Amino acid sequence: MQYSISVHFYTSITTHICGETERVNQAFLRMACFERASPALKDVLLKLYRAEKPMQMDHHLYEFGAVKYHIQSSASDPHHAYLSISTPLLSQDTLQSHGLSHYTREMVKGVSPDAAEIVEPAKEGYLLTLRLNFDKIPSGKDSVKVITEISAVQAVLLSSQLKEMLQNVNSQVTFQGMYKPIKLVYHPREPFFVVRQPQKSIAVFPMRFKENSDVIIATAFFQELMDVGSSKEWAKAPPCTWSPIPPPELRGELIEDLSTNGGFVSFDIFPRHVEGKRLDKTVWSLLNFYAYVKYHVKCTRGFIQRRMRKRLESLAEVLQKASSEEQQQQQIKKDKGFKYMRKMVSKSKNFKRRCSNLSRKIKRIRLRIKIRGFGRFRRRWLRLPNFCSSKGYTKLD
Amino acid sequence: MANTLRLYLTCIRNTLEAAMCLQNFPCQEVERHNKPEVELKTSPELLLNPVLICRNEAEKCLIETSINSLRISLKVKQADELENILTKKFLRFLSMRAEAFQVLRRKPVQGYDISFLITNYHCEEMQKHKLIDFIVQFMEDIDKEISELKMSVNTRGRLVATEFLKQFL
Repeated sequence: MQYSISVHFYTSITTHICGETERVNQAFLRMACFERASPALKDVLLKLYRAEKPMQMDHHLYEFGAVKYHIQSSASDPHHAYLSISTPLLSQDTLQSHGLSHYTREMVKGVSPDAAEIVEPAKEGYLLTLRLNFDKIPSGKDSVKVITEISAVQAVLLSSQLKEMLQNVNSQVTFQGMYKPIKLVYHPREPFFVVRQPQKSIAVFPMRFKENSDVIIATAFFQELMDVGSSKEWAKAPPCTWSPIPPPELRGELIEDLSTNGGFVSFDIFPRHVEGKRLDKTVWSLLNFYAYVKYHVKCTRGFIQRRMRKRLESLAEVLQKASSEEQQQQQIKKDKGFKYMRKMVSKSKNFKRRCSNLSRKIKRIRLRIKIRGFGRFRRRWLRLPNFCSSKGYTKLD
Repeated sequence: MANTLRLYLTCIRNTLEAAMCLQNFPCQEVERHNKPEVELKTSPELLLNPVLICRNEAEKCLIETSINSLRISLKVKQADELENILTKKFLRFLSMRAEAFQVLRRKPVQGYDISFLITNYHCEEMQKHKLIDFIVQFMEDIDKEISELKMSVNTRGRLVATEFLKQFL
């Protein structure tokens, strides 16, 4: 079974050219905005809601390999639609015998209590089925807001499971005197662990990357994360630690879960981090940590590539200049020779006189009086000077 | 520029000025062939002794000279893993676009990060002093670029870390 999390990035293309710092800041802003709602589901629901004529729909949507949506509506009942969701659970422990836990159900009910209600039992093969009542969706801009909330139901399902775990910070689940870590999987290659201790919960992320260069970029980021987190300014944020070896809390876990190339990042979650509105932020940040790091690595690689391309031009410019200067100099030398000759032809009075004499002689030669042997004499002694052509080509004889 | 770097670059510049007196010389083995002797090494009498200039163990420059060609191989300093991957990435990027430089070798000499091959034709096409300027400038720029890239990557990391932690507040 595959696990995945619905994470979307805003990839708006900035058309204007801005400074590198500005570009970096913009990228970070984009990184900070992970969209919770599924854009495809939102589109389908909006289409259904805005349809002027009753629509018959039986639509299946797949996202990130393992998330599946089924949207059903009939023309006979245009005000209602059924949305079924199948999504892998973060942890198999959270799956109750009768489906979702009470807490998760409550969270889903809170999404849009008027417009969406849970159908019992869920459609076969799905985790949850919602009955959407389009009559209860307010008109105007609010309709988009409500439909966006409904489209984010998969994110609610996932985050509610982690919320439930983090809220029970003080519940002590011990195994042979140790606090047993709970393995949470939202991607088969990227499991993470939550260890519940009396005073705090620890979220441990084993980091794996395909390429060695990614490991180094990510390691630099983890060290910065540790540095920034340990400063006084960020004392309210969960303390973060990075270690190349597994933390002692994960002792006894499977070797394949503990073998990493990027080390282990741990966040200590204290009760103050899961109070009130902070709970949602904390959970969402933790769930998106992998995606966040991978996005940073990808962006940094792009940044390096961009910068290298820019540098290549400036480096090659020096040589191109040298080569073009050499060509220019050669051209100047050629032109100089030609100019000198032209100057000589135009300015020298003697030369002018000689030329006029010569032309007169030629005119005379063209007369029909033939002098024996004069042709040879003319070819030898009265030849016109051969100048270089300014056009750069010579006529072939 | 650091004092040691200036000395290192001056030394390379002087050596290049002395070594870059190339002339057209056809192959002695094969008729109508004209190949860079520093690459083929067919006749030992056409080769000069190679000169190795070291700033430290991690930074060195090998200048191999022959009658019609010159090969310059550089080893760029890599203080840590990040500098190592940045240097590798950058020099590989440049080597893959060697045609833009004319004198850049697609594959560096073993034990070095990047190599240049200058023939007598290059010296004829481009001015000798300009070529030397380019090599020295290139060495300066590479060092500068790697340091700047490293700083940028770390700064980006710091900014991203700050943005991430902001989400918790």
